[in-house]
Amino acid sequence: MRIALAQIAPRLGDLEANLARHHLLLETARADGAALVVFPELGLTGYLLQDLASEVAMRLDDPRLAELAAATRGLSAVVSFVEESIDHRLFIAAALLEDGQIRHVHRKLFLPTYGLFDERRFFAAGDVLRAVPSRLGFGVGLAVCEDFWHLTVPQILALDGAQILINVSSSPGKDLAATNEVGLGTATSWRLLMRTYAQLTTSFVVFCNRVGVDESISFWGGSEVIAPTGAPVFSAPLYDEGLFCVDINPADIRRERIGLPLLRDERPEFQLRELGRIVAERAGLAEDTTDPGATR
Amino acid sequence: MTGQTPPFELPPELAIDTDVARRVIGGFIRGQLQQAGFERVVLGLSGGVDSALVAYLVAEAVGPQALLCVLMPYRTSSPDSRTDAEAVAADIRCASESVDISPIVDGYFDSAGVAGGAGGVDASALRRGNFMARARMAVLYDRSVTWRGLVVGTGNKTESLIGYTTIFGDNACAFNPVGDLYKSQVRQLALAVGVPESIVRKAPSADLWPGQTDEMEGGFSYPLLDRLLFWRVDKRRSTEELVELGFDLGLVERVDRMVAGAEFKRQVPPIAKLGPRTAGVDYLYPRRRPGSTAR
Repeated sequence: MRIALAQIAPRLGDLEANLARHHLLLETARADGAALVVFPELGLTGYLLQDLASEVAMRLDDPRLAELAAATRGLSAVVSFVEESIDHRLFIAAALLEDGQIRHVHRKLFLPTYGLFDERRFFAAGDVLRAVPSRLGFGVGLAVCEDFWHLTVPQILALDGAQILINVSSSPGKDLAATNEVGLGTATSWRLLMRTYAQLTTSFVVFCNRVGVDESISFWGGSEVIAPTGAPVFSAPLYDEGLFCVDINPADIRRERIGLPLLRDERPEFQLRELGRIVAERAGLAEDTTDPGATR
Repeated sequence: MTGQTPPFELPPELAIDTDVARRVIGGFIRGQLQQAGFERVVLGLSGGVDSALVAYLVAEAVGPQALLCVLMPYRTSSPDSRTDAEAVAADIRCASESVDISPIVDGYFDSAGVAGGAGGVDASALRRGNFMARARMAVLYDRSVTWRGLVVGTGNKTESLIGYTTIFGDNACAFNPVGDLYKSQVRQLALAVGVPESIVRKAPSADLWPGQTDEMEGGFSYPLLDRLLFWRVDKRRSTEELVELGFDLGLVERVDRMVAGAEFKRQVPPIAKLGPRTAGVDYLYPRRRPGSTAR
């Protein structure tokens, strides 16, 4: 199975130009024999939108989205944009488009609002996390950038049936300390966590990160595909634009899950019980067993 | 103190991956120009390492033909600075020109009532230095019109943090590719991109009067100051932790005061909030967006 990673530099706030680019790359990827094409977070709008967010937002019934979906006959694609809900909340959304349809929409769950990030000011956070079946023959789990900095996301997606975890990102690079692997602290951190997730969920991890510059921020690319063993199958170059094709063998999922049945041995009911206790303690509805002095 | 310090020393914790830095900065320069609808760059070349490094980086990113270096000596400026600046422009093979700012500066300070009579004898070195920096800014912004280029900034992170800059003078620019690099990192990157070693290793100077050096004026060496700022600002160490790391308590407190006192130089001036939407407060747009390049 061939995956195409569209490691592009979207034009900030220029929806029409980015839509045209997506159409073009979908056709290129189709010609290259790709079954799945992945675009980065906010690939249709650019990242640092601030008050432009409402101006480039699309409802799910937007004809431009339907037109993009229509370009996916015989293909699966993940695209990302600003979604405006019927009650006018703005979400950072990633959609799985398949065979002309919008198969699934994931709204970014975790909006970083610290350091160089200010997402919560401009966007609403999603509330739903679901794996979805796909025409590719296995379950797909979508996540957007910061979603992957929370352990629960890959775990819940895998427990829900995802065998391929797709993270689309607009990750800004920082920390050029010479001691970092590949010279960039951000890349080192991402690689570590994605390889860990792939191994612990025994799933493929597909990461598509943008390149280019919005204001002060440079996005580092370095898109990857990681096998269920945790071993990288492909690492795209840092900072270069490109449509990178990667072949994976879906049989690796079964092989790894039979040999290393971590998911079989997960105990969600026990997690649920303990999480229920922690939530009750935090809410002051039960005595805090680890911090008896906690305010109730 | 500076006498015992070697002219170039790179503290290990400050060492950066210069290949990645060149990639990022090259993309940043091209991105800034493209988003603003410009193809060319104007730079004030002093003969020091900061502006030399930026000249090499701009030439590497967009080609030397897109770069205009402007040398802006004052009559007391060191002839060595001029020689070094000319060597840089010649090595890069970019356009360069020299604008003597003496008539501008002297004309102002010679004016009746400005500074106690002819020659501005009462004007402090600080006033004269600030005026020179702002005269250079005015020349660069004028040349940005004739050259049709953006003014590129060359100030480094060390001088920005401690406030060793003139607001609306040397810190005025359309974009700055090296403003997040400490002085030691500027020197490391300068060597990597081919800035002549004599420029990298000479004592940094604002060159506002003969023999002036930054390190004599500040009373500390750049490697020491860079390390202190790195642990304080980037690594968020407390005063107690800094002292444990071996920094002198008096120096830590003094540098803290300088950093706090310079906060205003690093920010856009506040606008009184009166209307429903106010620029920079609750009217927040990227500085370049569709439509912004139409002129």
